[in-house]
Amino acid sequence: MKRFLSYFCSLAVAASMIGCGKNSEAPAAGGNQTSNPAGKKLTVALLPKSKGNAYFISCQKGAQKAAGELGDELIFDGPTGTDPAKQNEIVENWITLGVDVIAAACENKEGISTALRKAQSKGIKVITYDADALPDARSFFVNQATPQGIGYTLMDQAAQLCSSNAEFAIITASLTAANQQEWQKFIEEDRAKNYPNMKLVAVKPCDDLKDKAQSETTALLSTYPNLKLVMAICSPGVPGAAEAVKQAGKTGQVKVIGLGLPNENKIYVHGGVTQAVVLWNTMDLGYLTVQAADALARGTLKPGDTSFKAGSQTYEIQGDNIMLGKPFVFTKDNIDQFDF
Amino acid sequence: MKKYFRELSVAGALGILLIVLAILAPSFYSPQPLLSLAARASVSLVVALGMALVIIAREIDISVGSMFAVCSVCAGLFAAMHWPLALVIVASILVGAVFGAFNGALVAGLGLPSIVVTLATMVTWQEGLRWLRQGEFVNLPDGMQWFGLSQRLGQWTLVIGSIALLILLALAMKHLSIGRFIYAVGSDAEVARLSGIPPKFTTFLIFVFMGALVGLAAIMNIVQSPQVDPQSGNGLELKVIAAVVVGGVSISGGRGNLWGVFAGLLLLACISPALTHLHIEAYWEKAIQGVIILLAVVAEGLRSRKALDHG
Amino acid sequence: MNAKQPTWKQNLFRHEAILLVVLIAEWIFFDAIGRNFGTYDNSCDILRHSCEIGLLALAMTPIILTGGIDLSVGSLLGLCAILFGKFWRDAHLPIPVAALCTLGVGALAGGLNAALITRLRLPPLIVTLGTFSLFRGLAEAITQGVDTFTNFPNSFLFLGQERWLGIPAQAPIFIGAVIFFWLLVHQTTYGRTFRALGFAPEGVRFAGIPVERRIAMTYVLAGIISAIAAIIYTARLGQAKADAGNGYELYAITAVVLGGTSIFGGTGSVHGTLLGVAAIAVLQSGIVHALQPSEMAGMLTGALLILALTSSVLPKMISGLRARKSALKLSKPIA
Repeated sequence: MKRFLSYFCSLAVAASMIGCGKNSEAPAAGGNQTSNPAGKKLTVALLPKSKGNAYFISCQKGAQKAAGELGDELIFDGPTGTDPAKQNEIVENWITLGVDVIAAACENKEGISTALRKAQSKGIKVITYDADALPDARSFFVNQATPQGIGYTLMDQAAQLCSSNAEFAIITASLTAANQQEWQKFIEEDRAKNYPNMKLVAVKPCDDLKDKAQSETTALLSTYPNLKLVMAICSPGVPGAAEAVKQAGKTGQVKVIGLGLPNENKIYVHGGVTQAVVLWNTMDLGYLTVQAADALARGTLKPGDTSFKAGSQTYEIQGDNIMLGKPFVFTKDNIDQFDF
Repeated sequence: MKKYFRELSVAGALGILLIVLAILAPSFYSPQPLLSLAARASVSLVVALGMALVIIAREIDISVGSMFAVCSVCAGLFAAMHWPLALVIVASILVGAVFGAFNGALVAGLGLPSIVVTLATMVTWQEGLRWLRQGEFVNLPDGMQWFGLSQRLGQWTLVIGSIALLILLALAMKHLSIGRFIYAVGSDAEVARLSGIPPKFTTFLIFVFMGALVGLAAIMNIVQSPQVDPQSGNGLELKVIAAVVVGGVSISGGRGNLWGVFAGLLLLACISPALTHLHIEAYWEKAIQGVIILLAVVAEGLRSRKALDHG
Repeated sequence: MNAKQPTWKQNLFRHEAILLVVLIAEWIFFDAIGRNFGTYDNSCDILRHSCEIGLLALAMTPIILTGGIDLSVGSLLGLCAILFGKFWRDAHLPIPVAALCTLGVGALAGGLNAALITRLRLPPLIVTLGTFSLFRGLAEAITQGVDTFTNFPNSFLFLGQERWLGIPAQAPIFIGAVIFFWLLVHQTTYGRTFRALGFAPEGVRFAGIPVERRIAMTYVLAGIISAIAAIIYTARLGQAKADAGNGYELYAITAVVLGGTSIFGGTGSVHGTLLGVAAIAVLQSGIVHALQPSEMAGMLTGALLILALTSSVLPKMISGLRARKSALKLSKPIA
């Protein structure tokens, strides 16, 4: 009993001595002010959905370019596991660290909003990119393509490649992934409205693993002999599904499309296995996000603006969404021009 | 018959599943998809064989998933540097063996508990690999896929190779003294030591062997597609331990045989495609897996209770 | 009759003492190289972030002391979280009633583990491996993977996000749990049998103590604690999803072992577990504040675990080597 008390007393004393000595310093570059004079170095914190994800690494490349041009400090960090609370913890750590602006790609819309609102209340600016939070938790959303745009583009591409009463299947990331659920909603909406005779026979998760996507697709191909198209809406799923179609000997009979990175899919697109890969320029997305974040923190980007100039391009703002543009379709003809 | 009750009951459960599929979903039995399924399962089988030895020796290794990912990426990088295929295979096995030796040194040499050591190494290798690769795939050179053979031949090579390994190991466990050593160390390490068996060395060897098998499995996996995903191997430890346990190997060591592990692995590997073919929603997969593990373990418990009552 | 109380010098080299030194060293290090690390705000955040893991680690300690293990606590957290959401949103129960029902579910789930382990005498590792899949699978099946529960009332979210009298609102619950477990394991005669059970269960049985009931209680307790942790988690995040708590069981086991509890049972302490949780939580926060990648926290945790384990066997190894050396000297023939 004595030992325990003495240990705890010493720990408590040590912690309180250090803790009380320093109350929270004002975040670097004054987070309580609403704008920062141009020329001062800002700290921009970029949050991906998860680390070890090639998609976000390509966003980071664009982000670093922007940070370099603007003279800002860029922090890039994210969850390494699948626990939903991890993004919140990193954001809260950034709040105490004292960043100027946070740009977040949100894995859980409502969950992350809790932490983002807290950041805003401490004077830190918040924008989101790739996947939005709740509107009151951020000032702007850098929208690479609306979920509706993505869903409709995918469904329209699918319809173009198949007959009007074809069967198709979807490979998704994990069943709990919020982005994919939204896209599926719009895929279904487009299908019901414009292609009612096309049938979605199955939705299978691949847990973001290429190998699992391959096995799931193999099973789908033999279960549904009339399957005409596989739509993979997570980036590791596209090469996985394509490999399965190739190994089953159904290249060309069963089409493969999806959301993926060009580099991972070049062999399959050139091999005629994958017909179309839908995405957007992720480096531009990262670049635009950091430019917007910087401008927001400095006060040059304000709610109510209708356009925003980043680098040499001007982007349209719809409400509080900064639009990157339309989804881009990579095909045999243009995929070699891109390297990410 | 009684002696192999556990293994036979697992085989029986597998048989029932296969019959159900034959009746309700005969599309499961189309040759090409079945061959692809077998080729994928052969990778897990190789790892499961190693894990069976580890568990029979009363240890455990939960770092196999991370080791698998590291070996896959290393092998992919070696291949991308245009090393000859044979060298890539040997290198992958060696890398695995080195990681296994690290685990073995800590467990056998320092006497640390294997579950915690392999927990620590699992986290360290996993995070380290993620930091280095950041999710980027490794592109393999042409001619690497299927060892340069045709797809059909390559898949058959993998399947037959893994079954050959199974037969070899099963025979070795029964007839070679090293096999007897492993069972002895797993039953009672002190008695084994007094009988002249070196428990520490045996344990160390088992972990090295486990690592080598993981390296072999990694090669078998990367030849099945033209790119290496650094996330491959995610969840492998769970899959393999479940297969070993369902297959009748006792977690308290000293008991079990590799044929049961084979049946257990096939049973668990068939769940996911069976769900697809039976049009059952994907979100039932984990629950069903959990129930199978529990049933297997309950059956094991009832069996040993009966033995205790009668003995 | 009276076991000699260890001297303060012996206390200094105990595992927990060394861990305490490591913890203080961590704190000083990150305070120096990190930005705004050693502030009161950040200390509160570290406490808030480690509350659920801390609860799970506390509940894991009696289990591991008795020589068992429970891999299902993380999955049970996820299951309880979505059931809590379901009770509140779909069954329209008021929050306190929903919370009580969730605690009941936690107890039942812990009871399932307990029954399989004590009644059927099944190995805890495999039973809880099975329930690890089962509970997570049930959570996914109930929500069909997609359903999430949000828009909880602010009075509930206060628990996870706001401060009460200057300290984080979930802190009183955590401190209460610490006191409860510390008293249970170290002061009550009931709890003192845990360590004995880890050492020699047959001996305990001969002493007339109902072994099965004690061990069963540890698992049921873990189930209830998982449910409490699930409720706090939901309040902190503001959302309940099926993948809540993914990976928490390994984190909790790491904390317990880091704190000096032997995985085989028999030795260990609650304050050690607490120090283990603190060491990992401080490390994770420190890494972010030092602008290093998150992966480094994982790698350092793994390295720390191995160092802790190695250091705990070093004294034995050294004395073993010394004994062998002196035995060799003695065995030399005399003339």
